Amino acid sequence: MIKLVKVCKSFNGQKVLDNLDLEIEAQKITVIIGQSGGGKSVLLKHIIGLIKPDSGQIFVDGTDIVKLNDRMLNEVRKKFSMLFQDAALFDSMTVGENVAFPLKEHTRLSKKEIEEIVEAKLLQVGLTNVTHKMPSELSGGMRKRVGLARAIVLNPQIILFDEPTTGLDPLMSDAIDQLILKTQYDTRSTCVIISHDIASAFKIAHNIAMLYHGKIIQSGTPAELRSSNISIIKKFIEGTSA
Amino acid sequence: MAKLSVEAKVGFFVIIGIIILSYMSMKLGKLSFKRDSGYILKVFFDSASGLAEDVPVEIAGVEVGRVQTISLMNGKALVILKINSDTKISKNVKAIIRTKGILGDKYIELVQGTEQAPFMKPGDQILNASPATDIDTLMKVLEEVAININKLTGSFANVMGGEEGEASLRTIFENVKEMVETLNLTVQKNNTNVTQIISNLSDFSKKLKNISDTHSDDIRSIITNIHGASEEIEQLISGINKITTKLNQGKGSLGKLINEEETVNNLNDMLADLKNITEKINSGKGTIGKLIKEDETADRINTTLSGINDYIRKQETFRTYLNYRGEYLFNSGDVKSYLSLRIQPKEDKYYLFNVVDDPRGKDSITDITRTINDSTTTERIVETERDGLKFSAQIAKRYYDIGFRGGLFESTGGIGIDYYFFDDHLMLSMEAFDFDPDRNFHLKFKADYTPFNYIYITSGLDDFISDEGNESFFIGAGINFSDEDIKTILSNIPLPTN
Amino acid sequence: MIRFFEFTGKKFISIVEEFGKVMLLFLSAFLWMFRKPFRFRVIIKQMEFVGADSVSVILITGAFTGMVLALQTYYGFRMFGGESLVGATVTLSMTREIGPVFTALMVTGRAGSAMAAEIGTMRVTEQIDALYTMSVSPIQYLIMPRILAAALMLPILTIISDFIGIVGGYLVGVEFMKINSGIFMSKIIEFVDLADIFNGLIKSACFGLILSLIGCYKGFYTKGGAAGVGKATTQSVVYSSITILISDYFLTAAMF
Ligand SMILES: Nc1ncnc2c1ncn2[C@@H]1O[C@H](COP(=O)(O)OP(=O)(O)OP(=O)(O)O)[C@@H](O)[C@H]1O
Ligand SMILES: [Mg+2]
Repeated sequence: MIKLVKVCKSFNGQKVLDNLDLEIEAQKITVIIGQSGGGKSVLLKHIIGLIKPDSGQIFVDGTDIVKLNDRMLNEVRKKFSMLFQDAALFDSMTVGENVAFPLKEHTRLSKKEIEEIVEAKLLQVGLTNVTHKMPSELSGGMRKRVGLARAIVLNPQIILFDEPTTGLDPLMSDAIDQLILKTQYDTRSTCVIISHDIASAFKIAHNIAMLYHGKIIQSGTPAELRSSNISIIKKFIEGTSA
Repeated sequence: MAKLSVEAKVGFFVIIGIIILSYMSMKLGKLSFKRDSGYILKVFFDSASGLAEDVPVEIAGVEVGRVQTISLMNGKALVILKINSDTKISKNVKAIIRTKGILGDKYIELVQGTEQAPFMKPGDQILNASPATDIDTLMKVLEEVAININKLTGSFANVMGGEEGEASLRTIFENVKEMVETLNLTVQKNNTNVTQIISNLSDFSKKLKNISDTHSDDIRSIITNIHGASEEIEQLISGINKITTKLNQGKGSLGKLINEEETVNNLNDMLADLKNITEKINSGKGTIGKLIKEDETADRINTTLSGINDYIRKQETFRTYLNYRGEYLFNSGDVKSYLSLRIQPKEDKYYLFNVVDDPRGKDSITDITRTINDSTTTERIVETERDGLKFSAQIAKRYYDIGFRGGLFESTGGIGIDYYFFDDHLMLSMEAFDFDPDRNFHLKFKADYTPFNYIYITSGLDDFISDEGNESFFIGAGINFSDEDIKTILSNIPLPTN
Repeated sequence: MIRFFEFTGKKFISIVEEFGKVMLLFLSAFLWMFRKPFRFRVIIKQMEFVGADSVSVILITGAFTGMVLALQTYYGFRMFGGESLVGATVTLSMTREIGPVFTALMVTGRAGSAMAAEIGTMRVTEQIDALYTMSVSPIQYLIMPRILAAALMLPILTIISDFIGIVGGYLVGVEFMKINSGIFMSKIIEFVDLADIFNGLIKSACFGLILSLIGCYKGFYTKGGAAGVGKATTQSVVYSSITILISDYFLTAAMF
């Protein structure tokens, strides 16, 4: 379980997170929605300890990761994996090496076993014949899917997805949604997903949280959010800017 | 051509670097090797002014060692010389501080005495030491001469002093006039005598010149000769003294003195003596004073001595070492330990026997080939036996700063190379073994640093091209005892008393 | 006036702060060297990049500096008949100063800048963050191997540079200027000590440490996209070169 308590963060005087409280249920899919530039990515990076809050606490399975030093944080992060908004592939490695990287680092599998897993994962995200390509030779959507393959390759306890389906065609988006659902179901992992795709969010989420002006203004099941009477949430769900 | 692997490229690169370094250090640092295997002699100088550490020690212009340290002891300069072990130096050697080159660099010249004397043992002191430079020596000789001249003038003073002297002085002055007048006549009369004296003198100076010519490359003998000569000069002066005494007693005129056949003969005899002596000096025997007729005997003694020396040295260099080392492997968090016995019959050669306790165990590999339905499958069974002890038995040989090892490494065949730095305090080694065609061979790199006698620390990389995840950084320590150390320790352990 | 003091004071503090950050980075890189896993393959890759791949550059610069040194000292020494000392002079200057310093400057330009650019790009494209999320310390994975490789490879490059420089000097001195080869060599052996070479190599290891540390530091703390990467790269070269030359003085003063 992940719990954020009174988390504040500002960049150069600009308040991005403002006394934010959020609980993320274990072994469930939580989707975070919110405005572009509203601080969703920043929030995700707080959860995995990439950004330290100005104040507040962040508990991962009961330990406050804000207080941990680099080395202990490193241990905690073994539970995590993360898909970055821009994929963040290692551009000095091939696609195959990128996906194999977590396996090489944290398992003692043989070369052959690793190769097999990598091929299988790439196939799951709909990529074939890319293993030996460099990331710079791929399209944005393909890169994102390689990043996704890399994020799920180790079957970690907690997976953070920063806009996994942005930039993909509808069919591919749906396939990725199914993949996330399946992965979550198979491994009982805790998934945190940032998404701008309201329809898909309602389809896959167990819980949805709305980030607005640095705070979570409402968090609950899709049904609860649908019946919310907060106007900004209503507008957000309906997709009208009026 | 296949592209070189990263490992191969870096390997070549490092090897080329090490080869260049070894080549350059062999060219420049031949001394550093000699420095290791030399022996020490002590010498006290009244002054070691201008002498520096690490300057050469030469015999007849050939470098045979270096100055190790210079320190003050009881108001004298204690200079420790490190002499190459293949240079034997006899007991009656003389150490002199000399100057070389335009810049006036100081070095130490050893002048060997007679062949008969026994050789110096390590740690002995050279008793005969002179801090003097050539010029200083000359000055000393001149000082002696000056003292004698002083004596001479003293006699003159005696001659001139007192009333009696005054009277004689007056007589002398009167006689001077007479002398001057008669001098021409005298010279004419004694033409042959004077010519003989002059020719004797010129002969003497020729001999002197000859001496300095034939030994011009070896100034020291001139100095020795001057020493000898100064003794003769002393004699000469005492002769002159005699003359002046005669003069003192002489009632007659100087003319009478010179006319006296006896005096002239005396002078001639004296010059002949001088000639005789210089001839001896010239043949290298005179001032040394010892005419060695029994050369053969000396030879025999010499060979016997060197035989005994050889034997003793052999006994001395035969060494056994007992060594334990532990290496903490960061990869697995285990300690790999080695117990080894090193038998070293010669300084540049040794045999090494190791028992290795490898926490990662020992692999035993069995290949089973089965034929089912015409298709052959080979199955390899690798059993890892924990607590497997491994054995090493190696033979090692050392050239200058590089040592080579070959033989059994951890129960498999292998080779190793060692490079020694800083008087052997630091040793870098690379070992390659376990050449199994199906996996990468075992490479090990280590650096051993020995800050003190018995204890050393070590660090390196074990099995660093392993394809089984065995590569590990390690750090460790060891102790190393020689048989001598063990003897000393055992004899110093207090026995429990009841 | 007050603003001037405020400005210089702030500047001074920021320099001290930066120095502290560099030292902390070095310390943690050092500590990460001893933690599992030991990244042999990454280190070997960096050794290839810093060391083996720099050989051609070092060969060319080393040979020509040795040659030009021989030429210059020859004309100088001929004025008072000291041609025989050309070899010793070339060897001493190569081993003590020019070998280590030139090699370090060349490697700064070649590898130090690349370190800053590569790590800087990884920083701005979140690849470093990605490493963190995969529980891989970027200090251990990116920085430690580079520093270790540079500190180990620089001495080897330097000895190659020394050697080729002396060969170049020999070529000019003996082949072109007709200095007797025996005298040329014997003067080298007479005047050059093994310590000259070793001290030069120790210096070069320090330079390797400096240039890789500054390159990695500048890359690691890059901000502001592609422009930031460019700035980090330039700064790393400038700062490394300056630091190498300054520390050269102090190292020389301490050793020779
Ligand atoms: N490292 C940083 N330095 C300064 N400001 C930052 C930094 N990271 C984020 N911000 C600021 O924080 C705010 C939130 O950014 P964030 O990336 O979290 O938005 P987001 O909700 O993920 O938007 P999007 O949906 O477009 O990805 C932005 O205004 C951004 O300018
Ligand atoms: Mg974002």
